[in-house]
Amino acid sequence: MITKKILLSFPKVATGKPMAMELIKTYNLDFSILKALIDDNIKGTLLLEIRGEANDLNAGIVFLRENQIGVKEVQSMVVVDEKKCISCGACTAVCAVNALEMDENWSLIHHEDKCLECMLCVKACPMRAIHAVM
Amino acid sequence: MAKTYQEINEKIAKGEAVVVTAEEVIDIVKKRGVKEAADYVDVVTTATFGPMCSSGAFLNFGHSDPPIRMAEITLNGVVASGGLAAVDTYLGATQPSNDRGIEYGGAHVINDLIAGKEVHLVAKSQGTDCYPRKEIDTWVTLADLNEAYLFNPRNCYQNYNAAINTSSKRIYTYMGILQPNMGNITYSTAGELSPLLNDPLLKTIGMGTRIFLGGAQGYVSWMGTQFNTACERDEKGYPTTPGATLALIGNMKEMNPEYIRGAVYEKYGTSMFVGVGIPIPILNEEMMSFVSVENKDLHTNVLDYSVSKGGHPILKKVSYAELRSGSVDINGKIIKTSPMSSLKVAREIALELNHWIKKGGFFLQEPIQAFPMGNALKGLEIKEGESR
Repeated sequence: MITKKILLSFPKVATGKPMAMELIKTYNLDFSILKALIDDNIKGTLLLEIRGEANDLNAGIVFLRENQIGVKEVQSMVVVDEKKCISCGACTAVCAVNALEMDENWSLIHHEDKCLECMLCVKACPMRAIHAVM
Repeated sequence: MAKTYQEINEKIAKGEAVVVTAEEVIDIVKKRGVKEAADYVDVVTTATFGPMCSSGAFLNFGHSDPPIRMAEITLNGVVASGGLAAVDTYLGATQPSNDRGIEYGGAHVINDLIAGKEVHLVAKSQGTDCYPRKEIDTWVTLADLNEAYLFNPRNCYQNYNAAINTSSKRIYTYMGILQPNMGNITYSTAGELSPLLNDPLLKTIGMGTRIFLGGAQGYVSWMGTQFNTACERDEKGYPTTPGATLALIGNMKEMNPEYIRGAVYEKYGTSMFVGVGIPIPILNEEMMSFVSVENKDLHTNVLDYSVSKGGHPILKKVSYAELRSGSVDINGKIIKTSPMSSLKVAREIALELNHWIKKGGFFLQEPIQAFPMGNALKGLEIKEGESR
């Protein structure tokens, strides 16, 4: 049994199809919906934490892709743009779980697996170097 | 044995000067002692890279044909001063843009100019006999401008307080986001690497001191605003409260956009990260002793930013070693500490200045005038009555 966090992007043609149902019924996968949204162009985005056997998971992802759904594995809901980051440390002040912390050389490190997705770091970054993936 | 500026500059010219950073010098003094280290080391480089709101640029656009006396000026939608001569302006770093607010302000325009980007210049005028044009709408780059220089009225705070929030609400400040119920502490300093903490009594830093400013060779042009040399000090003379400041000047055309960066503080405003490096000549044992200071010997106060009336109350005096350790104990509660200024980039600046001097490309300038000691700060009194 393995667990992955995946970000699904549904184009207009795929939005509305019962994809999640297929994942459960046909591919024996179990998941939690972490976040879901549909924009005004009827494009959907869904963040899932998905669990199952490795071959079921892979087959499920192939099925989604065959239905024109973008699948991207993500570790954390935030991305730090290393070109913009100056390692000031302002984001670490609000990161309660130390997913963002300074290393021994005072360079910012991002432990993606620790992120609890509070998104406060996005607001705290003076360089606007931290972005949400959805 | 004491050294003069001239003797140190002669060593720099010959490529023989011993130049180390203010962090490296600590071990040298520990191993060799102050006396021997003072003979051995010629220059110590200090640096800082932090948000410094009181910054901005003087720009001259050159005259159009027919000419305009610019009265209302915007650069990429950011208002610049129309209060100077026809095509001169001052662009303040914290000025927000008309369209994007604090997310893009004067500091971002300055960064874009230094990065060589085209900037949208729009200006209006009432029109005069000698400046008939009433409107102009064009694009300019740094290379197009006659002059473009940073003139920052207040940079390089000698020391600065750390911030905490005792209220039950999250607050948004220039010291970052402060979590409720003393959830975190923020501080902003390069500590033992910081320029004015290595020369606490301003013995070598004064008007005319040549410095690293934003990647260019700049100068200390005046005492900074809110200059306070009558501040509290420890027994060795190091300030334990904000202290002295510097007004800095430098040619934007020689700067590097990595070292002058626009910044946004949520629900506060735009600011600018300014990269400053200052060389300290080791003229004698006294200067060697000053620059060997360590974070454990430098102190500041943790102030409660949730209270603004009557000044922020002091909660505790702490050392920079404690702040750098990652947590501080306040009344039995262990509170996480986080920096607001980049020590990583400050170290890069101290090393770059070090290389400039070692390569013989940067010489020390003795101040042409020392700054006053015992200069105290005034507040602003609110006086009643409409006319006087």
